[in-house]
Amino acid sequence: MTDRDAAGTASSRDRSTSVNAALPPGPQAQAAANQPAGALTVAPVGDGPPRDDRTARPGGRVTPSAWPSRTRSVLKHGALLVAGFVMLYPLLWMLSSSFKPTALIFRDPALIPTEIDLTNYTLGWDALLHPFSHYLMNSFIIVAGAVLGNLVSCSLAAYAFARLNFKGRRVWFAIMLMSIMLPIHVIIVPQYILFSQLGWINTYLPLVVPKLLATDAFFIFLMVQFFRGIPKELDEAARIDGAGHARIFFRIMMPLATPALATTAIFTFIWTWNDFFSQLIFLTNPNMYTVPVALRTFVDSTGESSWGPLFAMSIVSLIPVFLVFLFGQKYLVKGIATTGIK
Amino acid sequence: MSALGELATLRRKGPKGKVTMAPSERGDNKAAIFFLAPWFVGLGLITIGPMVASLFLSFTDYSLLQPPNWIALENYERMISDVRLHNSLRVTFTYVFVSVPLQLAAALALALFLDRGLRGLALYRSVFYLPSLLGGSVAIAILWRQIFGTNGLINQVLAFFGIQGQGWVSHPDYALGTLMILNVWTFGAPMIIFLAGLRQIPEMYYEAASIDGAGRIRQFMNITIPLLTPIIFFNLVLQVIGAFQAFTQAFVVSGGTGGPADSTMFYTLYLYQRGFTALDMGYASAMAWLLVVIVAGLTAVNFLLSKYWVFYND
Amino acid sequence: MSHLTRTKTSRRGFRLAAVAMAAGLALTACAGGDDGTGTDADAGDGGVATADPDAEATIKFSWWGSDTRHELTQQVIDNFMVKHPNITVVSDFTDWGGYWDKLATTVAAGDAPDVITHEERYLRDYATRGVLADLNEYSDIISLDSIDDSIIAAGQMEDGQYGIPTGVNAYSILADPQIFEEAGVEMPDDTTWTWEDYVEIAAEITANTPDGVYGAQDYGFNEPGFAIFARQRGEALYNEDGSLGFTAETLAEWWEISLELRDQGGTPPASTTVEIDAGGPEQSLVGTNSGAMAFFWTNQLGAVTNAAGRDLVLLRHPGESQFERTGMYFKPAMFLSMSARSQYPEAAATLIDYMLNDPEATEILLSDRGLPANTEVREAVRDQFSEVDQYAAEFLSDLETHIVDGLPVPPVGAGEVAEITRRINAEVLFDRLTPQQGAEQFIAEVSTATGN
Repeated sequence: MTDRDAAGTASSRDRSTSVNAALPPGPQAQAAANQPAGALTVAPVGDGPPRDDRTARPGGRVTPSAWPSRTRSVLKHGALLVAGFVMLYPLLWMLSSSFKPTALIFRDPALIPTEIDLTNYTLGWDALLHPFSHYLMNSFIIVAGAVLGNLVSCSLAAYAFARLNFKGRRVWFAIMLMSIMLPIHVIIVPQYILFSQLGWINTYLPLVVPKLLATDAFFIFLMVQFFRGIPKELDEAARIDGAGHARIFFRIMMPLATPALATTAIFTFIWTWNDFFSQLIFLTNPNMYTVPVALRTFVDSTGESSWGPLFAMSIVSLIPVFLVFLFGQKYLVKGIATTGIK
Repeated sequence: MSALGELATLRRKGPKGKVTMAPSERGDNKAAIFFLAPWFVGLGLITIGPMVASLFLSFTDYSLLQPPNWIALENYERMISDVRLHNSLRVTFTYVFVSVPLQLAAALALALFLDRGLRGLALYRSVFYLPSLLGGSVAIAILWRQIFGTNGLINQVLAFFGIQGQGWVSHPDYALGTLMILNVWTFGAPMIIFLAGLRQIPEMYYEAASIDGAGRIRQFMNITIPLLTPIIFFNLVLQVIGAFQAFTQAFVVSGGTGGPADSTMFYTLYLYQRGFTALDMGYASAMAWLLVVIVAGLTAVNFLLSKYWVFYND
Repeated sequence: MSHLTRTKTSRRGFRLAAVAMAAGLALTACAGGDDGTGTDADAGDGGVATADPDAEATIKFSWWGSDTRHELTQQVIDNFMVKHPNITVVSDFTDWGGYWDKLATTVAAGDAPDVITHEERYLRDYATRGVLADLNEYSDIISLDSIDDSIIAAGQMEDGQYGIPTGVNAYSILADPQIFEEAGVEMPDDTTWTWEDYVEIAAEITANTPDGVYGAQDYGFNEPGFAIFARQRGEALYNEDGSLGFTAETLAEWWEISLELRDQGGTPPASTTVEIDAGGPEQSLVGTNSGAMAFFWTNQLGAVTNAAGRDLVLLRHPGESQFERTGMYFKPAMFLSMSARSQYPEAAATLIDYMLNDPEATEILLSDRGLPANTEVREAVRDQFSEVDQYAAEFLSDLETHIVDGLPVPPVGAGEVAEITRRINAEVLFDRLTPQQGAEQFIAEVSTATGN
């Protein structure tokens, strides 16, 4: 069983120790998979040229280049910074507006605020029935349930679609895809009636249980595509060792699909965090309101809106998602290539 | 759906696959039930019911406020002569066919750029993903006007060159364009998926190619692209499905109107207006099923074509 | 083979379950509606007769608005619950757009809020479909004695009172005196000015002010403005029976004036106009100190004044003394309605009465739901109004003698007319339709939407 253990530990290993583990291709993979863990993941540095060098890094370049790497690096950074500014301009504008009194936001659209005034933050934090942290907490509860649900249920379903040969697979797959083609607006009323019959309205169940039941076909399909990128030889090797599907799933697929799992977790987090419509419809008690629903209550298109507090709280609500992304994205890059399998 | 049944991508290829599958076929059926159990329950309990309900309602005059009456095909017949529906189809198709390729190209380019080999990658990735974090926030509407409005950033830049701009976001000829830019701007999601996909390409292929003396361009064309095709395919299929349902951004930017003059009236936005503003949920349901037929058809075409360009490792 | 048969049965099982579920949902939807109309009468008759005022009741109260309104309303609810310890009020609020989606959905599922805040454009939709209770049945609980006569009829339909106005509003012009002064243009006498004056003044202000400052903001996006225009000519947007009460010529003229304004520079170019309109009160021309005049509801004066950061003036519509009659009218800011399916109609009625008639409630709400409809209470709390609201209240009471009558309840489908107006106005402003074509298209579309 060492092979599967190896796979399991490899994914959690830091990239710097395993990045260079290049292993022989194709048919040898099976042999490799049967090697002891150490040999598998922490191959000596000289074993193969580090892939980073294909782009830019002083030292052992594989691909010759006409430009000194430093100049290229500076150019790259310059281009990225300019592009980054364009990407960020609207957000910077929002940040700057969150420091201005509401009345000035539209009269004085300058990007740099004349003074940093935190009133909007204190106002916005306490503007609603509960402090804003209450709504952040509500969102966290739903998001945690949704992330867990999608990770477990979608990966199970994806394994079946990607690796199992069962009857009617194509038809079921087509049905799965079709289920995300109907716009939510015609689904929401029957869904509401259903959840209302179940007594789930005003609980978090309508927002979490569907995720536990793999109704997010997007992520099933996503993981199917990633699972299919994992070399079949690994399963076969494990099968020869007598492993069943459950073992293959837990010991090979899951560790090797870290990028797909990370993608699923991050997207589920962000999309659930931002999901306004279903949270609006299914939660009718203001104590249960989540961040997006709470944010809307700052705006009244027919009367006076609290733009300043809205922007301030929008910034506040962006922080958790941004942090999740910033720290989560390193798992995106822990694929086969870095764990060294194959 | 017969075309979807052709799902070429799910067909095991080569005799090798069959050899491994044959002895375990019986076990696979059992295992599949176990692995798909949550999905089956969700399908039966949560997904199918409302879907069938909406199909049923599409043959009724359901107003949300009163019980539905069966009116057979009347809703579908009305769609034939509904010029606003035709306009919304035109708007949506333009949007899908222009902005999806652009968005995917931007996402792929940035993913390749941000793959590795640069300091501060984590930060860059986050910066490029940030716009996508905003989602359908009401703030987007304000922000977009700050950029494409009469006194927006674009016009300030144009004014610098002595060009008198106009309110792009509120002109019927350009409003859709600004929404396409908005869509391209939020390329974060496909970019992340591309990034994750790049990491699944086994190192050894590059090494082997380097040893063979293949240059970076050849490596890119012969290794990166082919091995990334399943992910490109995934992004294409899902972005097309998603773009046909584009709603939030148009809703937020136009204040829910699809204006000016219906120029950003996406299909789903029109559907929403029929269902919730005009309280004509029967018609909205019929529209939804027309959309399903269109999107399923395009998805089927996508799957059929994938046979010719998507390369699977298994 | 056994596994094969098993799969087949399980698949058939699923298919059956799916169909059963769909049927169940459809039935629930039907049942929901049937019950609604059914219990309407039951609850009304039986409920009032056997009412125990001290019975425990939990009711849901829904409204739209922004954080200020939520805070004020919650205070009122808290006070109400202290006064009526047996009644628990659960609040349910959101922004304007989300409010209607949510309301329609909950009504469809048969769990509508007990006390529903309503708006003119949707009132008939909900009332005629049996969703709302006739409040006349609770006349022993809800007192209408002091409610402003000029607007009470706005909640009445053929057979009952389906909504009670919370407050009074009037569609009028907000003007920025500072810009008038900067342009060297005198403030018009709003009792005598004509539409020609309006066009002229707007153009003059634009000409005499720096680039980017305009005389007026386009008025064509809002159908209440046209309702007034039509009334001045002895016509009406909707007749009493819900049919259209104006000629295409009148509507075309309304848009012709709008184009004249645009062409003479009195209003901004079309794309700027559309942009400003989408921005709401705060981003309006007057709100950003870049325009002298704009049409708004009187209860928006506060929002625009705050945005502008300086004192504004309310003006009557031009043309009020130019034609057959005056066109301006009092509009209920919003209505309080009750669900026909409310389990605790007495408790709901008690809350409605409290919101309308209790001085304590109005002291907190002040003009948040329009200038209070209860005239007695309005006088009592007048001193507590903000300066801006006192000014608006004065403007409105001056109008009382000026206004001939109110508007009938708009027909079913009127909720769509706002959107139709907005769209066709953009088409006209961008010269994609002539005013005449726009008027014809408007009539055709509104007729379809309202079923006439």
